[in-house]
Amino acid sequence: MEVKILTEHYDKDEYVTLKGYQKNGGYEIIKKALKMKPEEIIQLVKDSGLRGRGGAGFPTGMKWSFLPKNNEPRYLLCNADEGEPGTYKDRLMMERAPHQLIEGMVISAHAVQSKKSYIYIRGEYTYPYKVVEKAIREAYDAGFLGKNILGTGFDHDMDIYRGAGAYICGEETGMISSLEGLKGQPKLKPPFPAVQGYLRKPTIVNNVETLACVTYIVKDGPQVFRKNGTEKSPGTKLFSISGDLQKPGNYEVALGISLMDMIQMAGGLKPGRKLKAVIPGGSSAPVLTAEEAQKAKMDFDSLAAMGTMLGSGAVIVIDDSQCMVDILSVIMSFYHHESCGQCTPCREGTGWLDKVVRGIVSGQGRVQDIDLIETVAKNMMGRTICALSDAAAMPAISFVTKFRDEFEFFVREKKSKVKGDYKIKGLSDAQVHH
Amino acid sequence: MPKCTINGKEVEVQPGQTIMQAFHQMKEEIAYYCWHPGLSVAGVCRMCMVDIEGNPKLQIACNTPVVEGMKISNRTEKVKDAAKWTLDFHLINHPLDCPICDQAGECGLQEFYMAYGKYDPEMAAPKQKKRKAVDLGPTVVLDTERCILCSRCVRFTDEVSKTHELGIFSRGDHSEIGTFENKPLDNKYSTNVVDICPVGALTSKDFRFRQRVWYLKEFNSICNGCSTGCNVKISYNQMGLYRVKPVYNEKVNGHWMCDEGREIYKPVNLDRRLKKARTNSGGKVTEVETASAVRQMGELLKSTVAKHGPDSVGLVLTGQYTNEEYEALISYFVKDLKSKKIFHWKNDPEKFDEFDGFLLRGDKNPNTAGLKKSLDAVGIKGDWKDLEPAHLKVLVVAAPENQVVYPDTAAKAAGFAKIPSVIWLTPTRDTNYDLSQWQIPVKSFAEKNGTFINAQGLAQKFKKGVSIVHDAVSLEELVEMISVDHVHSHVQAEARL
Repeated sequence: MEVKILTEHYDKDEYVTLKGYQKNGGYEIIKKALKMKPEEIIQLVKDSGLRGRGGAGFPTGMKWSFLPKNNEPRYLLCNADEGEPGTYKDRLMMERAPHQLIEGMVISAHAVQSKKSYIYIRGEYTYPYKVVEKAIREAYDAGFLGKNILGTGFDHDMDIYRGAGAYICGEETGMISSLEGLKGQPKLKPPFPAVQGYLRKPTIVNNVETLACVTYIVKDGPQVFRKNGTEKSPGTKLFSISGDLQKPGNYEVALGISLMDMIQMAGGLKPGRKLKAVIPGGSSAPVLTAEEAQKAKMDFDSLAAMGTMLGSGAVIVIDDSQCMVDILSVIMSFYHHESCGQCTPCREGTGWLDKVVRGIVSGQGRVQDIDLIETVAKNMMGRTICALSDAAAMPAISFVTKFRDEFEFFVREKKSKVKGDYKIKGLSDAQVHH
Repeated sequence: MPKCTINGKEVEVQPGQTIMQAFHQMKEEIAYYCWHPGLSVAGVCRMCMVDIEGNPKLQIACNTPVVEGMKISNRTEKVKDAAKWTLDFHLINHPLDCPICDQAGECGLQEFYMAYGKYDPEMAAPKQKKRKAVDLGPTVVLDTERCILCSRCVRFTDEVSKTHELGIFSRGDHSEIGTFENKPLDNKYSTNVVDICPVGALTSKDFRFRQRVWYLKEFNSICNGCSTGCNVKISYNQMGLYRVKPVYNEKVNGHWMCDEGREIYKPVNLDRRLKKARTNSGGKVTEVETASAVRQMGELLKSTVAKHGPDSVGLVLTGQYTNEEYEALISYFVKDLKSKKIFHWKNDPEKFDEFDGFLLRGDKNPNTAGLKKSLDAVGIKGDWKDLEPAHLKVLVVAAPENQVVYPDTAAKAAGFAKIPSVIWLTPTRDTNYDLSQWQIPVKSFAEKNGTFINAQGLAQKFKKGVSIVHDAVSLEELVEMISVDHVHSHVQAEARL
């Protein structure tokens, strides 16, 4: 069921090095791509139907075509601030195939006519940072970066910028603020980054996996890329599968695969356990019940039609040993901690939700709190600069509506329906605000 | 120019204008905290949400440009519900300490709660605890619990004063406004942050706890603190004047004023004023009625001119009086007394021409330009160096209203000691004047109508706002009283008082 295209050579240690990467066909496509016209590459990407792999699933070719037609300097930013709880695919890609990313970035930079790119790596990713840093030096030495790359006249410089561990810096304008040396807070749109981004210059922000895909689209053409996946979600995608499974990990599959197949691929559930719920696209995606999971297909549109989202491809599988109130409490603590604090509904709402859910798990819950969670969350949605508010609200709403009985039980009995007297610690105020 | 419909009414706006600006153009009510016409758009309070036909999501008015044909409303149920909830988000961690809060009565939270809220609070969890009564610097105190993090003050110090003292520290609902270590909020425009704070987070050290705002009335005036002539409003009640705030004037001060200008109410209040005329005969100072003092002053001037010639009487003027007053007094000296001995007393001549590039000027007088104009009209230069005390028998000095900015008052008073009769026309009480023969109380800028011409040459009229010293006269009234027959003027003066 796995379709190894991006990850074809990930099991070879040599693939990390420039030599090993070249031995396995690396840095061949760049030669072809740099001879192509930028518009030709953009057209190929458009034709491929490639959608952003970072979470929003926005068509990459369309994003690139938003750039204004002028001679201003442009920036390409690689979003490697992989922070969505449950996601760890970019980390694998950077650790196992840094040159794959660099090649994809140089080709993409050529397509968008950018002479400078930054890879914004999550602060906690110390090892991937070291690997990519080394690979960039190798690429410079081999002439794949710098002035007049491969004699084509195309100049491109690449740098790494390390984040400081804020989830919000994975939001593209938050990342731009952070890169500019400001507090990592999202910016108002308009203007959009493609028009005024980093240093108020046109800027394209793409995910690690998205940029890596570009090489393969140029190599084989859009039709081959489209052989995998669905009409509207073409290609393969890396999924970070975690939770109550026997073989959790990163799996590359064609988009559109059934969720149950994916669970089987990851070793299936632990013996004697029953599936209770699945979070299909990272902690901000609305949760699916076991019944919904049976029907779910893992592509952007199928999941959207089910009221949830593919997100960054972080599948979190929850079996019947878990308490949904407990899980929501952890998720709410996370968003409370990570809200940047700019917009009132998110700043105050994330804290409020966290307090109400923690109240329930500590046995202080009131009957009206269940409806309150839903109401507060609904009023946080679509009311802020970025999507963090929605990201906190969506799990809250889906948890209390789909697993209402567990919340009601907890409020009534002052204990978990699943774990009985199990005392849920939750996070203390001090931990949240550390 | 794009046309749009706001709450059913069609309006044409400038290209690139936002929905917020269109609402203001139409004088339609719209709620907001973070937006301010003099600052960049932050888009964070989320109060100004509007419903745009065809758009499933509510949009913020402050950052959404008007597009041709847009149909915008902020009166739909969806908007009202959103405003109510956004307000509730503002209030869940707010301490609700209105009874001890200085902002009560002019607080954005109170106002919008009455307009959009009026619900029972649903927040049952404990509120965030934050720092209170934080000393930000010489002028401002911060309460971080009341703060709604609209960032207006931060943007002010970044964009207007360009002093960058303030920032938002930490994240999420534990974010706080603050200053950097050893960098207090200390700039010449700092108190503007108190004006623009929509809640009681930033309060003025000068004003806080001195008066409840609902016991205050306001009148508009022109700041007499320097030659910029900022438009201001002054809060007062029967106890006196309490504070000065800027009034928007695009041509002069925009939305702002300096901290120095906020002090101009102080010399107007009774405790600093000369309440009765004073006369000194042989070291014995006695208080007399103003009308009587003015009459005697007129007699003295006339008899001196008759005895020693017109150039034996002199007049010293500061740029602190109105055009109308200058015209009256100068005309009296030049036409009635035939004296050309008129001199311009400047505060600190070395700094007189300084300008900080924004509002503050070294010329600490509101009407230097008006004085020059009046002197030019009669061909008098008014150079200070031409003043020769030895040749004068009587000197009339229209003293500065705000002595703080005239550091040489004592020296000047001492310099006049050789002149047999010195008459100080002064709004304020100053023991330096006690050596002189006469001190006559005159009205402060707040107590009279008039015109000031500012450094840009803009003539600005202002009106009387209060009456503080009932026995004080304006220079116009004074001239009127001395230039007509004594008995008549006395009757007039009595009638006026």
